[in-house]
Amino acid sequence: MIKNYLKTAWRNLLQNKATSFISIAGLAVGICCFLLLATYLINELRYDRFHQKADRIVRIIQNHKSPDYNEVNTIAVTPTAPVPVFKQQLTDVEDGVRIIDYSDMRPAIVQFGDKLFKEKNVLMADGSFFKIFSFKFISGDAGSALGNSSSIVITASTATKYFGADNPIGKILKVDGTNNMMVTGVVEDVAEYSQIKFDMVGSYAMMPRSLIRKWDSANDYSYLLLKPSADRVATERKINTYLDSLYKNDLAAGEKIWYNLEPLTSIHLYSTAGGLEPSGNIKYVYILGIVAVILLVLACVNFLNLVTARSAERSKEIGVRKVMGAQRKQLFFQFITEAGIITLVSLIAGVVFASFCFPAFSDFSGQALNFNTWNITWLVTAILGLFFIVTLLAGTYPSLYLSAFKPVVILKTKSTGAAGGNTLRKSLVVFQFIVSVFFIISTLIAGNQLKYMQNLNTGMDRSQVMVLDIGGMPFNNLEPFKNAIAQNPGITGATASYNSPVNVRGGYSINSADGKNSDFNLPVTAAPIERNFIKTMGMTLVAGRDLDLGDEQQVRKDSLRQYSFILNETAIAAMGWKPEQAIGKHIGLNGRTGTIKAVAKDFNFSSLHQKIEPLVIFPEYDWFGKLLVKTNGKNTAATIAVMEAQWHKFYPNSPFEYHFLDHEFEEMFKTDQRTGSILQAFTLVTIFISCLGLFGLAVFSTRQRVKEIGIRKVLGANVMSIVGLISSDFLKLVLIAVIISSPLAWYAMSAWLQDFAYRIDISWWVFLLAGGMAILIAFVTVGYQSFKAALSNPVKSLRSE
Amino acid sequence: MLSLQHISKYYQVGGNKNFVINDISLDVDEGEFVSIMGPSGSGKSTLLNIIGMLDDPSTGYHYFVDQPVHQMKEKQRSALYKQYIGFVFQAYHLIDELTVYENIETPLIYQDVKGSERKAMVADMLDRFNIVGKKDLFPAQLSGGQQQLVGIARALIAKPKLLLADEPTGNLNSKQGEEIMELFRKLNKEDGVTIIQVTHSEKNAEYGSRIINLLDGRVESSKKF
Ligand SMILES: Nc1ncnc2c1ncn2[C@@H]1O[C@H](COP(=O)(O)OP(=O)(O)OP(=O)(O)O)[C@@H](O)[C@H]1O
Ligand SMILES: [Mg+2]
Repeated sequence: MIKNYLKTAWRNLLQNKATSFISIAGLAVGICCFLLLATYLINELRYDRFHQKADRIVRIIQNHKSPDYNEVNTIAVTPTAPVPVFKQQLTDVEDGVRIIDYSDMRPAIVQFGDKLFKEKNVLMADGSFFKIFSFKFISGDAGSALGNSSSIVITASTATKYFGADNPIGKILKVDGTNNMMVTGVVEDVAEYSQIKFDMVGSYAMMPRSLIRKWDSANDYSYLLLKPSADRVATERKINTYLDSLYKNDLAAGEKIWYNLEPLTSIHLYSTAGGLEPSGNIKYVYILGIVAVILLVLACVNFLNLVTARSAERSKEIGVRKVMGAQRKQLFFQFITEAGIITLVSLIAGVVFASFCFPAFSDFSGQALNFNTWNITWLVTAILGLFFIVTLLAGTYPSLYLSAFKPVVILKTKSTGAAGGNTLRKSLVVFQFIVSVFFIISTLIAGNQLKYMQNLNTGMDRSQVMVLDIGGMPFNNLEPFKNAIAQNPGITGATASYNSPVNVRGGYSINSADGKNSDFNLPVTAAPIERNFIKTMGMTLVAGRDLDLGDEQQVRKDSLRQYSFILNETAIAAMGWKPEQAIGKHIGLNGRTGTIKAVAKDFNFSSLHQKIEPLVIFPEYDWFGKLLVKTNGKNTAATIAVMEAQWHKFYPNSPFEYHFLDHEFEEMFKTDQRTGSILQAFTLVTIFISCLGLFGLAVFSTRQRVKEIGIRKVLGANVMSIVGLISSDFLKLVLIAVIISSPLAWYAMSAWLQDFAYRIDISWWVFLLAGGMAILIAFVTVGYQSFKAALSNPVKSLRSE
Repeated sequence: MLSLQHISKYYQVGGNKNFVINDISLDVDEGEFVSIMGPSGSGKSTLLNIIGMLDDPSTGYHYFVDQPVHQMKEKQRSALYKQYIGFVFQAYHLIDELTVYENIETPLIYQDVKGSERKAMVADMLDRFNIVGKKDLFPAQLSGGQQQLVGIARALIAKPKLLLADEPTGNLNSKQGEEIMELFRKLNKEDGVTIIQVTHSEKNAEYGSRIINLLDGRVESSKKF
């Protein structure tokens, strides 16, 4: 029996090549996208779970509430003391590790023989690092690798980079010119799905800070390993009780400091505190999960639609089979078998597509994704699951529907009537287009928002600004280097600053000010700069005067240092002043004292997701991270060549590296851009699938109406009126979809935009454009069929009846 | 063989009952060859479908091989039907996707006949109808007469006791029609198959041993030869 089902099913598939192709193409694309998205989601969900003790590891984050500022300031770093203290004093804590992101501010310069590299992924960690986290050792021992203050563990590809095929163990790497560190272990390259990523991990004890246990100045990422019996929340409570008594005498009234323990495995998707790498977002996991399911459903809907559309043609076969003694059950299985075969072929095609798409999708998503991301039992389960779910989803309704036909009804009427299920099919087309239009609108809005961010006047002129890393370079060479490159006519200015101006991060607080109480405290972002900063970056002052050489000299004195501060408008407002009033007021910033010299017009100095916050910039004496070089944009290559030549003269031990500030700015909303491109890709896919469905229906409906069309033509209808007749049926459906979809998309995208402090208003033309596009696409899809039908010879179609 | 008693079939049209079969009582014995005639719309096909259990009467009693069909559930009825009845249509109603061989084989599949047995039975039937050479062709590749031969072969494959034929020659020329009628006669005489056919042709009707004339859902006349 089953052989017979398979045979008929297979023949049916071959005989109706067009429909089979449409069903299979739609399903295959749907399955392919589903697999890609599922892989992405699995990767997100397996983040950090590869550590054997993952379920017992927590990260300490620190919260600070100042009485003078409304928001709680949460950071993912702690001072040096908590880890060793908690390990000693709390029975719940089995072990702990402090990690310093050594190359965070500036790359480390690492040398082996004549090999010199800038390393951007260097961590320093306590000796317990490899006991708590499970990174796989190729050589060396996890327990003792970081036991010595000059030990360093490197990854396999780093080892190859420095030592080629030689045995790395025991080799000495010179870090930042002064520290000789011995390689004591080689681990496998760190997986993409680890929040702790590194090329090298050195011993925390190498740094002077390791010697002192301090409870202020938070710089360490601190992870604790809890005992199996410990309860995270209870431990957190004990820690905070401890902190309360510790800080009792140091905090102002209304000020509060407390810690939270975040489970390691929930940091990547849930934490908003930041950390060693930017977090993912559980929201996107949900959204993409929903998208995956929707795409699959769309593809199934297509299939379902085409099968029921063919019911008219198949009704005769069904009737005959029933007259020959087929029971409903047997027919049901026949049709389910057909659905199963189509699904199987689609599934194979979908898996093959997906394996071809993985490289591009990996680029797209920034994660190394392929079928290896799955564990094999999951993959098999998923594919089998897909097979059954798709077969049942797509096959059950048509099978029930077809097998219920009454033979008399079909066979009595000599035509192939029984074109039931029309309302259902129409609803399904509407459903598909609701989804398509939703995606079109969302893509348009997301695109607008991204363009808006790129072109937003952020209050600074980023164009043609090159950023050079000068962290750790001898400070005395800076001025001569600047003078040397300034000779070049292509360079119009150069100024150093602590951070890149699009991403200023220093956490400070203003803790004394004229006219404020002695316990005044306003957390601010602050960064040292040079005197030309405001001018070179094209910023504006709303009050006061720009910094000059005198201000710089003043802070470089050994005693009686007096700072000249520039505050932004937001900071001034937070102080409760007007810009003009503020000039000349004394303030203290983490121990630096001085006066306010100028008020800068607000500019965006971090992600556009955030509003502009209080900012202080000030001249500093001897350390800068970045050199910002403004060029005139003409003959950039030559300018760069000149700069490189000068660089090697002044900084012979350091590679020349640069990037453009604009690029860095765009990098900051890369996740958003990525979401935008993912949205775009899936918009195309949904449109494609929906059009396949529409096309299939158009084929059938014109086929069903050949007689009507023939008669109309004989009666004198012209081609256009017939095209209109057929197309308008479908266009009406699309129009309904547009009407239903628009408010849904509006709602969803409004919610998405809430995440941006700087956002566009959704304008009405987006909906008009999306609707127009959907209708145009639908018309092109249906139009061909309509024309074909309209142009066919009526005599032929009527005779064949 | 079968007995219809006070069978009616009506459709609700507006508020009225529109009778298609109006209180027909009819007995057919085993081995009879009945021809049903009547003008278009007089209810011939409906009556045949009721006899063949494809359609339910609105009221009345229906006995088949002494069993009360009107009291049966779908499943029992279908079992009875499979065992006893074969159907032939004016429009042949072969399955386009199946070959001649497979079309004939299909009823056996639905009756769970074993593969080897099926092969023998189909081969037999192909032989008997002289269409062995056509067994791998699809219906579209056959003439109307040949298609109807396949239709009849298919109706007979499961050895039914009762053959129902709704205008089996309606789409055929007179020579093809005659051949089919000869075949029916032979089946009736030699194999003892009871036949009920609907026809518009006096000449074909006379192959039967009884002619029933319908008019407006009633038996207008019935004569036995
Ligand atoms: N679903 C229905 N609703 C209402 N009336 C119907 C329905 N089906 C059939 N009829 C009517 O029943 C009557 C008998 O139909 P039937 O097919 O039995 O006629 P017939 O004698 O076989 O005619 P013909 O010689 O043309 O085949 C017709 O008048 C037809 O209009
Ligand atoms: Mg009829």
